[in-house]
Amino acid sequence: MMERRDHRTIEELLSASVLGALEPEEQAALEQEMSSHGPRCPECMELRRDYGEVAGRLAFALEPVAVRPGFEDQVVQLVRGAGMAEVVQIPARRERSRVWRGLVAVAAALVLFAGGWLARDLTGGEKATLTLPTKVVSFQGTGGNLSVAFRPGERGLYLLGSNLAPPPSGKVYEVWMIQGDTPVRGACFSPTANGSFFRFLDADLTNTQVMAVTVEPASCSAAPTSEPFLTAPITQA
Amino acid sequence: MALDLSDVRDQELVTRIRGGDEDAFRGLFRRYAPNAMALARRVVRQPSLAEEIVQEAFLALWRNPTGYDQERGSVRSWLLGTVHHRAVDAVRREESQRRRAESAVAVDVAQPDISEDVAAELDAPEERRAVRTALDDLPAEQRQVIELMYFDGLSQSMIAERLSLPLGTVKSRSLLGMRRLRAALVEMER
Repeated sequence: MMERRDHRTIEELLSASVLGALEPEEQAALEQEMSSHGPRCPECMELRRDYGEVAGRLAFALEPVAVRPGFEDQVVQLVRGAGMAEVVQIPARRERSRVWRGLVAVAAALVLFAGGWLARDLTGGEKATLTLPTKVVSFQGTGGNLSVAFRPGERGLYLLGSNLAPPPSGKVYEVWMIQGDTPVRGACFSPTANGSFFRFLDADLTNTQVMAVTVEPASCSAAPTSEPFLTAPITQA
Repeated sequence: MALDLSDVRDQELVTRIRGGDEDAFRGLFRRYAPNAMALARRVVRQPSLAEEIVQEAFLALWRNPTGYDQERGSVRSWLLGTVHHRAVDAVRREESQRRRAESAVAVDVAQPDISEDVAAELDAPEERRAVRTALDDLPAEQRQVIELMYFDGLSQSMIAERLSLPLGTVKSRSLLGMRRLRAALVEMER
Protein backbone atom coordinates (compact mmCIF):
# COMPACT_ATOMS: atom_id res chain seq x y z
CA MET A 1 0.00 0.00 0.00
CA MET A 2 1.32 3.45 -0.92
CA GLU A 3 2.30 5.52 2.08
CA ARG A 4 0.40 8.79 2.41
CA ARG A 5 2.76 11.58 3.34
CA ASP A 6 1.99 14.25 5.87
CA HIS A 7 1.75 17.72 4.32
CA ARG A 8 0.94 19.71 7.43
CA THR A 9 4.44 21.11 7.81
CA ILE A 10 4.58 22.07 4.16
CA GLU A 11 1.15 23.68 4.35
CA GLU A 12 2.06 25.64 7.46
CA LEU A 13 5.30 26.93 6.00
CA LEU A 14 4.02 27.43 2.47
CA SER A 15 0.96 29.41 3.53
CA ALA A 16 3.26 31.81 5.36
CA SER A 17 5.92 31.81 2.65
CA VAL A 18 3.53 33.14 0.00
CA LEU A 19 2.85 36.07 2.31
CA GLY A 20 6.58 36.74 2.65
CA ALA A 21 6.39 35.95 6.37
CA LEU A 22 9.10 33.36 6.84
CA GLU A 23 12.54 33.96 8.25
CA PRO A 24 15.38 32.69 6.02
CA GLU A 25 15.89 29.55 8.08
CA GLU A 26 12.17 28.75 7.89
CA GLN A 27 12.23 29.28 4.14
CA ALA A 28 15.15 26.88 3.91
CA ALA A 29 13.21 24.36 5.99
CA LEU A 30 10.28 24.66 3.59
CA GLU A 31 12.48 24.09 0.57
CA GLN A 32 14.10 21.10 2.22
CA GLU A 33 10.75 19.60 3.18
CA MET A 34 9.35 20.09 -0.31
CA SER A 35 12.40 18.63 -1.96
CA SER A 36 12.00 15.55 0.23
CA HIS A 37 8.57 15.09 -1.37
CA GLY A 38 10.01 15.35 -4.86
CA PRO A 39 9.35 17.93 -7.59
CA ARG A 40 6.13 16.32 -8.80
CA CYS A 41 4.40 15.73 -5.46
CA PRO A 42 0.76 16.43 -6.49
CA GLU A 43 -0.38 17.61 -3.09
CA CYS A 44 2.64 19.91 -2.75
CA MET A 45 1.90 21.40 -6.17
CA GLU A 46 -1.72 21.93 -5.28
CA LEU A 47 -0.83 23.62 -2.01
CA ARG A 48 1.69 25.85 -3.75
CA ARG A 49 -0.75 26.80 -6.48
CA ASP A 50 -3.66 27.45 -4.14
CA TYR A 51 -1.80 29.45 -1.53
CA GLY A 52 0.04 31.37 -4.24
CA GLU A 53 -3.34 32.21 -5.70
CA VAL A 54 -4.63 33.37 -2.31
CA ALA A 55 -1.61 35.64 -1.86
CA GLY A 56 -1.98 37.14 -5.31
CA ARG A 57 -5.68 37.73 -4.79
CA LEU A 58 -5.13 39.57 -1.51
CA ALA A 59 -3.70 42.46 -3.51
CA PHE A 60 -7.19 43.08 -4.83
CA ALA A 61 -8.38 44.05 -1.37
CA LEU A 62 -6.69 47.38 -2.00
CA GLU A 63 -8.16 50.15 -4.10
CA PRO A 64 -6.12 50.34 -7.29
CA VAL A 65 -3.82 53.33 -7.56
CA ALA A 66 -3.77 55.03 -10.93
CA VAL A 67 -0.23 55.19 -12.27
CA ARG A 68 1.06 58.66 -13.00
CA PRO A 69 0.80 59.93 -16.56
CA GLY A 70 3.80 58.86 -18.56
CA PHE A 71 4.72 55.94 -16.34
CA GLU A 72 3.46 53.34 -18.79
CA ASP A 73 5.43 54.92 -21.62
CA GLN A 74 8.50 55.08 -19.38
CA VAL A 75 8.30 51.36 -18.67
CA VAL A 76 7.68 50.57 -22.32
CA GLN A 77 10.71 52.65 -23.28
CA LEU A 78 12.80 50.57 -20.91
CA VAL A 79 11.25 47.42 -22.34
CA ARG A 80 12.23 48.52 -25.83
CA GLY A 81 15.77 49.09 -24.64
CA ALA A 82 15.83 45.78 -22.84
CA GLY A 83 14.38 43.93 -25.79
CA MET A 84 16.85 45.31 -28.28
CA ALA A 85 19.74 45.24 -25.92
CA GLU A 86 20.12 41.49 -25.72
CA VAL A 87 20.46 41.97 -22.00
CA VAL A 88 23.51 40.01 -21.06
CA GLN A 89 23.56 38.30 -17.72
CA ILE A 90 26.51 36.49 -16.35
CA PRO A 91 25.96 34.03 -13.52
CA ALA A 92 26.19 35.40 -10.01
CA ARG A 93 29.55 34.63 -8.56
CA ARG A 94 29.38 32.20 -5.71
CA GLU A 95 33.00 32.65 -4.90
CA ARG A 96 34.41 36.10 -4.64
CA SER A 97 38.01 35.13 -4.58
CA ARG A 98 40.14 35.73 -7.62
CA VAL A 99 37.48 38.13 -8.81
CA TRP A 100 39.67 40.77 -10.32
CA ARG A 101 41.69 38.22 -12.19
CA GLY A 102 38.38 36.71 -13.27
CA LEU A 103 37.08 40.04 -14.46
CA VAL A 104 40.00 40.50 -16.76
CA ALA A 105 39.25 37.07 -18.19
CA VAL A 106 35.60 38.02 -18.60
CA ALA A 107 36.63 41.21 -20.35
CA ALA A 108 38.81 39.27 -22.74
CA ALA A 109 36.02 36.78 -23.40
CA LEU A 110 33.60 39.60 -24.11
CA VAL A 111 35.91 41.06 -26.69
CA LEU A 112 35.84 37.68 -28.41
CA PHE A 113 32.07 37.44 -27.98
CA ALA A 114 31.49 40.91 -29.39
CA GLY A 115 33.76 40.06 -32.26
CA GLY A 116 31.74 36.94 -32.98
CA TRP A 117 28.51 38.86 -32.76
CA LEU A 118 29.68 41.48 -35.22
CA ALA A 119 30.97 38.84 -37.55
CA ARG A 120 27.59 37.12 -37.49
CA ASP A 121 25.88 40.42 -38.25
CA LEU A 122 28.14 41.08 -41.18
CA THR A 123 27.40 37.67 -42.56
CA GLY A 124 23.66 38.12 -42.42
CA GLY A 125 22.87 37.13 -38.85
CA GLU A 126 19.37 37.86 -37.68
CA LYS A 127 20.46 40.61 -35.31
CA ALA A 128 22.08 42.93 -37.84
CA THR A 129 21.06 46.50 -37.17
CA LEU A 130 22.10 49.81 -38.59
CA THR A 131 20.89 51.95 -35.72
CA LEU A 132 22.26 51.69 -32.25
CA PRO A 133 19.50 51.83 -29.64
CA THR A 134 19.89 52.48 -25.98
CA LYS A 135 21.29 49.44 -24.23
CA VAL A 136 20.21 48.48 -20.76
CA VAL A 137 22.43 46.01 -18.98
CA SER A 138 21.64 44.58 -15.57
CA PHE A 139 24.40 44.11 -13.07
CA GLN A 140 24.62 40.64 -11.60
CA GLY A 141 25.51 39.76 -8.05
CA THR A 142 24.13 40.27 -4.60
CA GLY A 143 23.21 43.39 -2.69
CA GLY A 144 20.50 44.90 -4.87
CA ASN A 145 19.50 45.80 -8.41
CA LEU A 146 21.60 48.05 -10.60
CA SER A 147 21.34 48.73 -14.31
CA VAL A 148 23.31 50.86 -16.71
CA ALA A 149 21.75 52.49 -19.75
CA PHE A 150 23.85 53.90 -22.58
CA ARG A 151 23.99 54.42 -26.32
CA PRO A 152 26.90 52.59 -27.87
CA GLY A 153 29.32 55.00 -29.42
CA GLU A 154 27.94 57.97 -27.53
CA ARG A 155 29.33 59.56 -24.42
CA GLY A 156 27.26 59.44 -21.25
CA LEU A 157 25.51 56.75 -19.27
CA TYR A 158 22.83 56.43 -16.65
CA LEU A 159 23.02 54.24 -13.59
CA LEU A 160 19.73 53.22 -12.02
CA GLY A 161 19.57 51.22 -8.81
CA SER A 162 16.89 49.87 -6.53
CA ASN A 163 16.77 47.73 -3.41
CA LEU A 164 20.44 48.40 -2.84
CA ALA A 165 21.66 47.54 0.61
CA PRO A 166 23.28 50.42 2.48
CA PRO A 167 27.09 50.27 2.44
CA PRO A 168 28.79 49.41 5.72
CA SER A 169 29.37 52.27 8.13
CA GLY A 170 32.08 54.62 6.88
CA LYS A 171 32.03 53.08 3.40
CA VAL A 172 30.59 53.96 0.01
CA TYR A 173 30.04 52.11 -3.20
CA GLU A 174 32.30 52.85 -6.14
CA VAL A 175 31.58 52.09 -9.77
CA TRP A 176 34.42 50.99 -12.01
CA MET A 177 34.77 50.63 -15.76
CA ILE A 178 37.16 47.80 -16.53
CA GLN A 179 39.16 48.62 -19.65
CA GLY A 180 41.48 45.76 -20.49
CA ASP A 181 43.08 45.06 -17.15
CA THR A 182 42.63 48.59 -15.83
CA PRO A 183 39.76 49.60 -13.57
CA VAL A 184 38.81 53.20 -14.37
CA ARG A 185 36.98 55.17 -11.71
CA GLY A 186 33.33 55.86 -12.39
CA ALA A 187 31.52 57.27 -9.39
CA CYS A 188 31.24 56.95 -5.65
CA PHE A 189 27.76 56.74 -4.23
CA SER A 190 25.53 55.67 -1.42
CA PRO A 191 21.96 54.68 -2.22
CA THR A 192 19.11 56.64 -0.68
CA ALA A 193 17.41 55.37 2.46
CA ASN A 194 15.02 53.35 0.34
CA GLY A 195 17.87 51.70 -1.53
CA SER A 196 17.46 53.58 -4.80
CA PHE A 197 20.13 55.32 -6.83
CA PHE A 198 20.15 57.32 -10.04
CA ARG A 199 23.17 59.04 -11.55
CA PHE A 200 24.31 60.34 -14.91
CA LEU A 201 27.98 59.75 -15.64
CA ASP A 202 29.79 61.73 -18.29
CA ALA A 203 31.87 58.75 -19.33
CA ASP A 204 32.60 56.81 -22.48
CA LEU A 205 32.09 53.06 -22.38
CA THR A 206 33.64 52.41 -25.78
CA ASN A 207 36.67 50.70 -24.34
CA THR A 208 34.94 49.19 -21.33
CA GLN A 209 34.34 45.47 -21.23
CA VAL A 210 32.95 45.15 -17.72
CA MET A 211 31.49 47.48 -15.13
CA ALA A 212 31.84 46.59 -11.49
CA VAL A 213 30.85 47.94 -8.08
CA THR A 214 32.96 47.61 -4.95
CA VAL A 215 32.76 48.76 -1.35
CA GLU A 216 35.33 51.48 -0.68
CA PRO A 217 36.27 53.88 2.12
CA ALA A 218 34.08 56.99 2.33
CA SER A 219 36.90 59.02 0.79
CA CYS A 220 36.62 56.84 -2.36
CA SER A 221 39.55 54.96 -3.86
CA ALA A 222 41.79 55.49 -6.82
CA ALA A 223 41.85 51.74 -7.36
CA PRO A 224 39.56 49.01 -6.04
CA THR A 225 40.41 47.81 -2.56
CA SER A 226 37.76 45.10 -2.35
CA GLU A 227 36.21 42.50 -4.55
CA PRO A 228 33.25 43.58 -6.70
CA PHE A 229 29.82 42.50 -5.56
CA LEU A 230 28.03 43.62 -8.72
CA THR A 231 29.30 43.25 -12.27
CA ALA A 232 27.90 43.94 -15.72
CA PRO A 233 29.44 42.92 -19.04
CA ILE A 234 29.48 45.78 -21.54
CA THR A 235 29.36 45.26 -25.27
CA GLN A 236 28.97 47.89 -27.94
CA ALA A 237 27.07 45.74 -30.42
CA MET B 1 -17.09 32.18 -14.85
CA ALA B 2 -15.73 35.69 -15.46
CA LEU B 3 -12.52 35.00 -13.59
CA ASP B 4 -11.68 32.11 -15.87
CA LEU B 5 -12.16 34.30 -18.92
CA SER B 6 -9.87 36.84 -17.33
CA ASP B 7 -7.24 34.18 -16.73
CA VAL B 8 -7.45 33.00 -20.31
CA ARG B 9 -7.06 36.55 -21.56
CA ASP B 10 -4.02 37.08 -19.34
CA GLN B 11 -2.41 33.87 -20.50
CA GLU B 12 -2.90 34.91 -24.09
CA LEU B 13 -1.20 38.20 -23.33
CA VAL B 14 1.76 36.41 -21.74
CA THR B 15 2.02 34.13 -24.75
CA ARG B 16 2.17 37.19 -27.01
CA ILE B 17 4.69 38.87 -24.74
CA ARG B 18 6.92 35.82 -25.17
CA GLY B 19 6.87 36.68 -28.85
CA GLY B 20 7.94 40.24 -28.15
CA ASP B 21 4.48 41.80 -28.59
CA GLU B 22 4.64 45.28 -27.07
CA ASP B 23 0.87 45.81 -27.31
CA ALA B 24 0.32 42.69 -25.24
CA PHE B 25 2.76 44.04 -22.68
CA ARG B 26 0.85 47.32 -22.57
CA GLY B 27 -2.37 45.36 -22.18
CA LEU B 28 -1.13 43.47 -19.15
CA PHE B 29 0.43 46.62 -17.74
CA ARG B 30 -2.86 48.52 -17.97
CA ARG B 31 -4.77 45.68 -16.38
CA TYR B 32 -2.54 45.18 -13.38
CA ALA B 33 -0.23 48.16 -12.87
CA PRO B 34 -2.83 49.98 -10.71
CA ASN B 35 -3.19 46.92 -8.48
CA ALA B 36 0.54 46.42 -8.42
CA MET B 37 1.06 50.08 -7.52
CA ALA B 38 -1.51 49.88 -4.72
CA LEU B 39 0.17 46.80 -3.30
CA ALA B 40 3.70 48.16 -3.54
CA ARG B 41 2.68 51.46 -1.99
CA ARG B 42 0.86 49.73 0.83
CA VAL B 43 3.87 47.59 1.68
CA VAL B 44 6.72 50.08 1.25
CA ARG B 45 4.71 53.28 1.91
CA GLN B 46 6.93 55.32 -0.36
CA PRO B 47 5.47 56.26 -3.76
CA SER B 48 8.81 56.59 -5.53
CA LEU B 49 10.07 53.25 -4.25
CA ALA B 50 6.73 51.65 -5.08
CA GLU B 51 7.05 52.92 -8.63
CA GLU B 52 10.52 51.41 -8.93
CA ILE B 53 9.24 48.09 -7.68
CA VAL B 54 6.36 48.01 -10.14
CA GLN B 55 8.65 49.03 -12.97
CA GLU B 56 11.16 46.31 -12.12
CA ALA B 57 8.44 43.68 -11.82
CA PHE B 58 7.05 44.45 -15.27
CA LEU B 59 10.54 44.66 -16.76
CA ALA B 60 11.26 41.24 -15.29
CA LEU B 61 8.10 39.96 -16.93
CA TRP B 62 9.24 41.28 -20.29
CA ARG B 63 12.74 39.91 -19.92
CA ASN B 64 11.65 36.50 -18.73
CA PRO B 65 8.01 35.79 -19.61
CA THR B 66 8.75 32.07 -19.49
CA GLY B 67 9.09 32.53 -15.74
CA TYR B 68 5.32 32.23 -15.63
CA ASP B 69 4.20 28.63 -15.23
CA GLN B 70 0.51 28.05 -15.83
CA GLU B 71 0.57 25.05 -13.53
CA ARG B 72 1.47 27.27 -10.62
CA GLY B 73 -1.53 29.59 -10.84
CA SER B 74 -2.96 32.61 -12.61
CA VAL B 75 -0.97 35.33 -14.32
CA ARG B 76 -2.30 38.01 -11.98
CA SER B 77 -1.30 36.06 -8.86
CA TRP B 78 2.14 35.42 -10.30
CA LEU B 79 2.61 39.05 -11.29
CA LEU B 80 1.29 40.51 -8.05
CA GLY B 81 3.22 37.88 -6.12
CA THR B 82 6.37 39.16 -7.82
CA VAL B 83 5.52 42.72 -6.84
CA HIS B 84 4.79 41.67 -3.28
CA HIS B 85 8.01 39.71 -3.01
CA ARG B 86 10.06 42.68 -4.20
CA ALA B 87 8.22 45.05 -1.90
CA VAL B 88 8.76 42.85 1.14
CA ASP B 89 12.42 42.51 0.22
CA ALA B 90 12.70 46.27 0.11
CA VAL B 91 11.01 46.64 3.47
CA ARG B 92 13.20 44.02 5.09
CA ARG B 93 16.25 45.63 3.62
CA GLU B 94 15.39 48.95 5.08
CA GLU B 95 15.04 47.53 8.57
CA SER B 96 12.92 50.45 9.51
CA GLN B 97 9.77 48.81 10.70
CA ARG B 98 9.33 51.19 13.58
CA ARG B 99 9.77 54.25 11.40
CA ARG B 100 7.27 52.95 8.91
CA ALA B 101 4.80 52.06 11.59
CA GLU B 102 4.99 55.57 12.98
CA SER B 103 4.29 57.11 9.60
CA ALA B 104 1.64 54.60 8.69
CA VAL B 105 -1.04 55.30 11.21
CA ALA B 106 -3.17 57.15 8.71
CA VAL B 107 -3.07 54.48 6.02
CA ASP B 108 -6.35 52.67 5.57
CA VAL B 109 -6.54 49.53 3.48
CA ALA B 110 -10.02 50.39 2.32
CA GLN B 111 -9.36 54.04 1.58
CA PRO B 112 -10.64 54.77 -1.92
CA ASP B 113 -8.23 56.77 -4.00
CA ILE B 114 -9.32 56.25 -7.56
CA SER B 115 -12.67 56.42 -9.22
CA GLU B 116 -14.97 53.47 -9.66
CA ASP B 117 -14.75 54.10 -13.39
CA VAL B 118 -11.12 53.08 -13.41
CA ALA B 119 -11.89 50.11 -11.21
CA ALA B 120 -14.64 49.03 -13.56
CA GLU B 121 -12.27 49.28 -16.47
CA LEU B 122 -10.06 46.79 -14.69
CA ASP B 123 -12.92 44.34 -14.10
CA ALA B 124 -11.89 44.52 -10.48
CA PRO B 125 -14.85 45.52 -8.27
CA GLU B 126 -16.21 41.99 -8.12
CA GLU B 127 -12.79 40.64 -7.34
CA ARG B 128 -12.25 43.26 -4.68
CA ARG B 129 -15.57 42.56 -3.05
CA ALA B 130 -14.84 38.85 -2.95
CA VAL B 131 -11.43 39.32 -1.37
CA ARG B 132 -12.65 41.87 1.14
CA THR B 133 -15.56 39.68 2.11
CA ALA B 134 -13.24 36.74 2.59
CA LEU B 135 -10.97 38.86 4.78
CA ASP B 136 -13.89 40.32 6.72
CA ASP B 137 -15.23 36.85 7.39
CA LEU B 138 -12.04 35.83 9.15
CA PRO B 139 -11.91 35.94 12.93
CA ALA B 140 -10.33 39.25 13.87
CA GLU B 141 -7.18 37.71 15.31
CA GLN B 142 -6.54 35.70 12.14
CA ARG B 143 -7.22 38.69 9.90
CA GLN B 144 -4.85 40.82 11.94
CA VAL B 145 -1.99 38.35 11.56
CA ILE B 146 -2.52 37.91 7.84
CA GLU B 147 -2.76 41.64 7.20
CA LEU B 148 0.42 42.30 9.16
CA MET B 149 2.21 39.65 7.13
CA TYR B 150 0.93 40.61 3.72
CA PHE B 151 0.32 44.33 3.85
CA ASP B 152 3.00 45.32 6.34
CA GLY B 153 5.71 42.90 5.27
CA LEU B 154 6.24 41.49 8.74
CA SER B 155 7.50 37.98 9.37
CA GLN B 156 5.70 35.74 11.82
CA SER B 157 8.53 36.27 14.30
CA MET B 158 8.19 40.05 14.01
CA ILE B 159 4.45 39.80 14.56
CA ALA B 160 4.91 37.64 17.64
CA GLU B 161 7.23 40.26 19.03
CA ARG B 162 5.01 43.18 18.11
CA LEU B 163 1.84 41.62 19.50
CA SER B 164 3.61 39.98 22.45
CA LEU B 165 2.24 36.60 21.43
CA PRO B 166 3.92 33.19 21.41
CA LEU B 167 5.28 32.42 17.95
CA GLY B 168 3.21 29.25 17.89
CA THR B 169 0.04 31.28 18.33
CA VAL B 170 0.92 33.51 15.41
CA LYS B 171 1.68 30.49 13.23
CA SER B 172 -1.55 28.83 14.21
CA ARG B 173 -3.63 31.94 13.46
CA SER B 174 -1.84 32.37 10.16
CA LEU B 175 -2.48 28.79 9.05
CA LEU B 176 -6.12 28.80 10.09
CA GLY B 177 -6.72 32.13 8.39
CA MET B 178 -5.02 31.06 5.19
CA ARG B 179 -7.02 27.85 5.11
CA ARG B 180 -10.22 29.88 5.32
CA LEU B 181 -9.05 32.19 2.56
CA ARG B 182 -8.10 29.26 0.41
CA ALA B 183 -11.55 27.80 0.89
CA ALA B 184 -13.27 31.11 0.14
CA LEU B 185 -11.16 32.35 -2.77
CA VAL B 186 -9.85 29.26 -4.50
CA GLU B 187 -11.79 26.14 -3.67
CA MET B 188 -15.22 27.81 -3.96
CA GLU B 189 -14.41 28.89 -7.50
CA ARG B 190 -13.46 25.47 -8.79
